[in-house]
Amino acid sequence: MSKDWKSYQPLLVPAIRDLHEISVYEKNNGYQALKKILKNRKTWTPANVVNEVKTANIRGRGGAGFNAGLKWSFMPEPDGEPRYLACNGDESEPGTFKDRKIFEFNPHQFIEGAIIAAYAMQIDVIYVYIRGEYRPFVLKLQDAIDQAYEKGYLGEKILGSDFSVEMHTHMGAGAYICGEESSLMESLEGKRGYPRVKPPFPAQRGLWGRPTTINNIETLANVPLVMQHGADWYLGIGPKTHPGPVLYGISGHVNRPGVYEYQAGMDIMTLINEVAGGVRGGKKLKALIPGGSSTPPLRADMLEGVTMDSESLRDAGSMMGTAGMVVLDEDTDMVELIWRISYFYDHESCGQCTPCREGTGWLEKTLRKIKDGNGEMRDLDLLLAICYRMEGRTICALADAAAWPVRYSIDRFREEFEKKCKKTVYAVA
Amino acid sequence: MLDVTSSDQTMPEIFIDNNRYEFEKPGKVLQFMLDKGMDLPFFCYHPSLSIPANCRQCVVKAGMPVFDREKKVFEIDDEGNRVIRFFPKLMTACSLDLVDGLVVHTHHTDELVKQAQADNLEFILINHPLDCPICDQAGECPLQILTYKYGPEGSRFEHKKVHKPKAIQLGPRVILDAERCINCTRCVRFTDEISKTYQLTIISRGDKNYPMTANDQVFDDPYSLNTVDICPVGALTSADFRFKARVWEMNQTPSIDISNGKGCSTWLWTRDNLVMRVTPRFNEAVNDHWMPDAGRLTYRQFNENRISRPHLRPDDAGQVRTSWNNAQLTLQEELEKATPDDILVIGSPHASVEDNYAMRTFFGNLGVSNFHFIPHITPGAGDGFLISDDQAPNTNGVRALGFEEVDEKSLIKFIETSKPRIVAILDDDLLGRTALKAEHLASSWTIVWGTSHSDTTRAANLVVPVTTAAEHAASYVNVDGRIQRTVPAKETLYTNRRLNLEMSMGRLDHYGTKFDNWVTDANRIDCIPAWEFFTRMETGSDNIGWESSRQVMEEIAGTFRTFREVSYDRMDEENGIQLKLEQDSEVKPA
Repeated sequence: MSKDWKSYQPLLVPAIRDLHEISVYEKNNGYQALKKILKNRKTWTPANVVNEVKTANIRGRGGAGFNAGLKWSFMPEPDGEPRYLACNGDESEPGTFKDRKIFEFNPHQFIEGAIIAAYAMQIDVIYVYIRGEYRPFVLKLQDAIDQAYEKGYLGEKILGSDFSVEMHTHMGAGAYICGEESSLMESLEGKRGYPRVKPPFPAQRGLWGRPTTINNIETLANVPLVMQHGADWYLGIGPKTHPGPVLYGISGHVNRPGVYEYQAGMDIMTLINEVAGGVRGGKKLKALIPGGSSTPPLRADMLEGVTMDSESLRDAGSMMGTAGMVVLDEDTDMVELIWRISYFYDHESCGQCTPCREGTGWLEKTLRKIKDGNGEMRDLDLLLAICYRMEGRTICALADAAAWPVRYSIDRFREEFEKKCKKTVYAVA
Repeated sequence: MLDVTSSDQTMPEIFIDNNRYEFEKPGKVLQFMLDKGMDLPFFCYHPSLSIPANCRQCVVKAGMPVFDREKKVFEIDDEGNRVIRFFPKLMTACSLDLVDGLVVHTHHTDELVKQAQADNLEFILINHPLDCPICDQAGECPLQILTYKYGPEGSRFEHKKVHKPKAIQLGPRVILDAERCINCTRCVRFTDEISKTYQLTIISRGDKNYPMTANDQVFDDPYSLNTVDICPVGALTSADFRFKARVWEMNQTPSIDISNGKGCSTWLWTRDNLVMRVTPRFNEAVNDHWMPDAGRLTYRQFNENRISRPHLRPDDAGQVRTSWNNAQLTLQEELEKATPDDILVIGSPHASVEDNYAMRTFFGNLGVSNFHFIPHITPGAGDGFLISDDQAPNTNGVRALGFEEVDEKSLIKFIETSKPRIVAILDDDLLGRTALKAEHLASSWTIVWGTSHSDTTRAANLVVPVTTAAEHAASYVNVDGRIQRTVPAKETLYTNRRLNLEMSMGRLDHYGTKFDNWVTDANRIDCIPAWEFFTRMETGSDNIGWESSRQVMEEIAGTFRTFREVSYDRMDEENGIQLKLEQDSEVKPA
């Protein structure tokens, strides 16, 4: 799968100067997919576009890896009332920094994808929710949106057809939880970012109670590729079960950290050693967090032959997540690392559900105790017990995201945790 | 286990803890269980608010039977039971829809559910201050009760608890202790969904969050104290009531709100014959679970500024206390001097149906035929919810008894022109609330039956102290024509909780002993119900002879068409009775 990675030509963020300018984007086949659809509306009915995207099996790039076209097909038939598309650019998980590359270097491809999605689902309004820390990139995206409006790709009667759609950007105010799709909707509605109880699902009752689809930015940037070249071509990139180009955000102890675009299903060791230039300082690899801080860390010896796609990573004992790979060398203190991750989730828990609100704090405090050398062996069992009590007991997945790294690290690096704990001896009665 | 034959039933069915139940209306599992009297712990759920499912306390194991689409029957296992496919995660019963065939296992039949409920309580308690001994909520605290019932035996939390602000004055009536908050958001949802002032929100994140108003905003919602009632912990407390009494020291008596015409159903909480607080009592027909803050402040008027013993003004000097005997004789003498046409009788929308009727009967027997009252209505004061323009609890009641509605101007004009020898006023501060002045009454002999000292009682020649809604059993007809009654909550000098059958059985009657040191004879007012005074006045053969207000109401029911279906028993059973009122709201000149 990764044999021809060296000849891979980037599709999401190609190396073209000033691609964020609409004229440059148009010169490079930009907005061709949209034009193709709007000019052949008999062939490309909304239902056919949904089917094409479904066939292409674009796995959602926001973490869950759900087939985007399938998600689109959950939208009910239009009833004349408003319907919404919310684009999730709130990437704020430690280790994840890929969508900013799209905002920065290829915003039009995302915009085109969003317009096609809106056409396919017969949606009138698109919201782009971006984390507020990305202000420079939001401004760049806004410039691109303005250009698209000027050129008639957005707004009333797009390209002379009777299809109209508006696009608005919305900046988040620094809450990780607002990247969860239902709290993103709450936040867009001007409310506190609390995840909603499901059901009802967003396709039934989303923004302002109307049918809504939420897609990741990178997912939507894949859509013009599918529509331009066809689902079969798209399925040819990477593994069939998880096809298409992926933005790998490689960070941590590597020589060349950064966002790299290759096909899905890249060999992990190839990514670390060849793409990112190997572990920094010639040290040995200790572990890898494959898809953002919430995905279970993998020990170096578990990475043999594992590729970056949902299925392979699931079998290895982790998840694809956002492909935000954090590489850890042999000097990494796992306890310190897991404490820091727990600190993040403690800080970011919205506080709605009891197990997450209290559990994240309890995990953080207990890990801090171990990190500071005050831990006892029984604290490790307590940590596992807390994780077990948090998982699957809350409205959204933040509790799972907070519990997994702790649970799997204790599982996979137990001796390190034990080394930090005091040897306690209890009197035997 | 499950009865397979029941699948032939047309009624949709669910199975809870292996028992089969039928349901008619769609709904949620938790409410269904509560309606059936089954127990399941919960904090954030409230039947009148939206369902956030955030406390995660009511988790159950739930599953659906596997349906064979080809054979159109439920799949059956070897033992003849339906094959159940359980949801992978535990479900919150509050948000779980009733679906035909649903199978639910609670803590009674599933160890995992039992464990999950204990786990959740352990989580809730790790940052809870556990200051029950000094917390006002103790004794009526869902967290305390559920922890005893479902909680873990101890805690494994060995760190410093999160500290949050304490004793914050959110508004004039509500105080917040953020550390006790378990973030159920009931208070926030109340201001969003019921009172619609949107004054509260949750601020901060994770285990540091708590409810708060926007910057510099005051939580002055006219219904703000309802948040104290629905708070499942002691996070929100009443500024007025906090630290005044423990729950188990008080008697709890059903009553109604007399602060306005809506007549919300209430509980009166008494200790040492003082009303300590007023809280709403659920009544679907009137107030649901809520009541306005103003109604709660009426507890003061039951305790303070009360008239005790009759007051007589022998000459132009001030009033003096006198005996009941002397009060009766004085009135008798004055009545003998007057002809029926010389007597002006003014009933009261603030007094009960019984008292107004007794007054009407007494003066009617003397030959008086004109009975008046001045409605106490402030246009624009109402909000269309639980606060009415009508400031009196019984305007419709007086009206239905045939008292003529007059406005203050015509009444003053009437007094000025016809100069009545006697003016009889039933509990109503006319001088305080209308243009009527003391000089208007100067040439008449004025008798007032009053509960509290007021301008009107001070201007009277004879003041007869009468009981308040907290001391008598009496009925009031609210603005919507619903008649509801009160139950004596505090003792007068002449009543005793143990002897008076009209008084409620309070918590102390049930569980207390006579050695309970908080049961005292203090604070008993020397007053009687107005109807009782009129009974005492009648001495001859035409003695009215009422022995209780219950009897008065029976007589009213036999006399007035409007009240013909009213009885105390029915009012108690049905939480009040809707009357068919004749529309006669025009103000007629006297």
